[in-house]
Amino acid sequence: VTQDPRIEGLLREFAPQALGALMRRHGQFDACEDAVQEALLAGFLQWPRDGIPDSPLAWLVTVAERRLTDEWRSESARRRREETDAVLDVPGRAPAPEHDDTLTLLFLCCHPALSAPSQLALTLRAVGGLTTAEIANAFLIPEATMAQRISRAKQSIKAAGAGFDLPPDSERSERLRVVMQVLYLVFNEGYLQRADLTAEAIRLTRLLYRLLPGEHEVAGLLALMLLTDARRDARSEPDGTLVPLAEQRRELWDAEQIAEGIALLTQTLGRGPAGPYQLQAAIAAVHDEAASEAETDWPQILALYGVLEHVSPGPVVTLNRAVALAMVEGPRAGLALLDTLDGDESMAHTHRLDAVRGHLLERAGDIAAARDCYRRAARMTTSVAERQYLALRAAALRGPAEARPT
Amino acid sequence: MKYMIMMFGSAGEMMDVKPPEWIREMIAFMQQLDVDLRDSGEMVFNAGLADGAAAKTVRLTGGLPVATDGPYAEAKESLIGYWVLDVENEARILEIAGQIAEWSGLVEVRPLADAPPEV
Repeated sequence: VTQDPRIEGLLREFAPQALGALMRRHGQFDACEDAVQEALLAGFLQWPRDGIPDSPLAWLVTVAERRLTDEWRSESARRRREETDAVLDVPGRAPAPEHDDTLTLLFLCCHPALSAPSQLALTLRAVGGLTTAEIANAFLIPEATMAQRISRAKQSIKAAGAGFDLPPDSERSERLRVVMQVLYLVFNEGYLQRADLTAEAIRLTRLLYRLLPGEHEVAGLLALMLLTDARRDARSEPDGTLVPLAEQRRELWDAEQIAEGIALLTQTLGRGPAGPYQLQAAIAAVHDEAASEAETDWPQILALYGVLEHVSPGPVVTLNRAVALAMVEGPRAGLALLDTLDGDESMAHTHRLDAVRGHLLERAGDIAAARDCYRRAARMTTSVAERQYLALRAAALRGPAEARPT
Repeated sequence: MKYMIMMFGSAGEMMDVKPPEWIREMIAFMQQLDVDLRDSGEMVFNAGLADGAAAKTVRLTGGLPVATDGPYAEAKESLIGYWVLDVENEARILEIAGQIAEWSGLVEVRPLADAPPEV
């Protein structure tokens, strides 16, 4: 609605605090969340016209609270609509919440009773302050569907009997793991096409890091996002075709973001056992520090993948370790490691194994086999950008003599 | 009038016969087409699909649904993308379909069942 980034930034910054304040007084997540959402929309409409209130948080809380009591009092939705335009002459009384409830809210939105898509949607709305329309647009689904998903998510939270409290210590680390996973999913959702989602994931992770500065894995996650997102401008061509790391123009990488990510890592690495996000961030940092693929410290990357495989084993980690192994010991060594994944059920239905194998076969000079792998991978991927990349790769490996006229 | 344009093809076939420059031009055309259809206000919704190799077909077999690998039609080419468009008349939808057919070779155009009668 508004084009003013300052207004949008303020509204979204205060959205979770306003919701927290309302929750402390009224305790009904579903109704409070709707009321804050309506207050945000009112802000989007009114602030550009009337100016930013002296206390944006007090304004939001007051407006949301009026919506809430209107909702409770009103006999019909029609009456509520009629009053909508008249409510908003708000005094500057600041509620000055004693707690920053945003952390509690994050845990609530990432409640284990919810499916991952619901956790993502609810987090973006209640903590991120995005509108349902914006979230629907970001995930390319109709707004009515997203509204229903959010509404059902709130019902599930109610049904699970979740209160507005931080999880008990015994559950805390597992619940925090889910919160980090949700933020990383938002980041990955945005990684290929939606820069706005990526930026939102980084903003929310910064927020989480500010709330929990002692959690090294939160710092690791933020570093991983910054170090990965730093390559955004180099990662695809204007038509959307992916550019692999080895061929990226590294002068397009964001030096400031890389420096911030490395600083975060330096503060935390070595203080206790490194978790998977810190390790992945460390690997990203080694890439980001190299002036070219040839100058990359591949032995260090290989060693880091070895540690990661130990801490958090899985086929995707093995796949990446195979790439590093190929760089250190040659493509045949990498291919041999890939062979160990052939029976893996989770790899059988993705394009990733074939895509990586195609690269290593190409490096090994086995062009015909590489092309077959790229072709299989292109047929399996559901990402348009990856399909374009793999199709071009396959087509480029076909000798001109083989091209049939069309 | 609302119509669906269905585009048939095969990513595997394309990679076998087309040079990289052709693939790049085809991608550029498809991207521009979607921009143009949004700008003209004719786009209702659209989607590209993964290759038919990623499809599964579910059939009721002996009273139970059974999933098998592959698309429904056994032809080499299967549905790989569709557009639902709201256009002025049939001539316009055939014009758009013709542009797509120049790249994909085969396109089916069909009115939506819920299209209101023309007044």
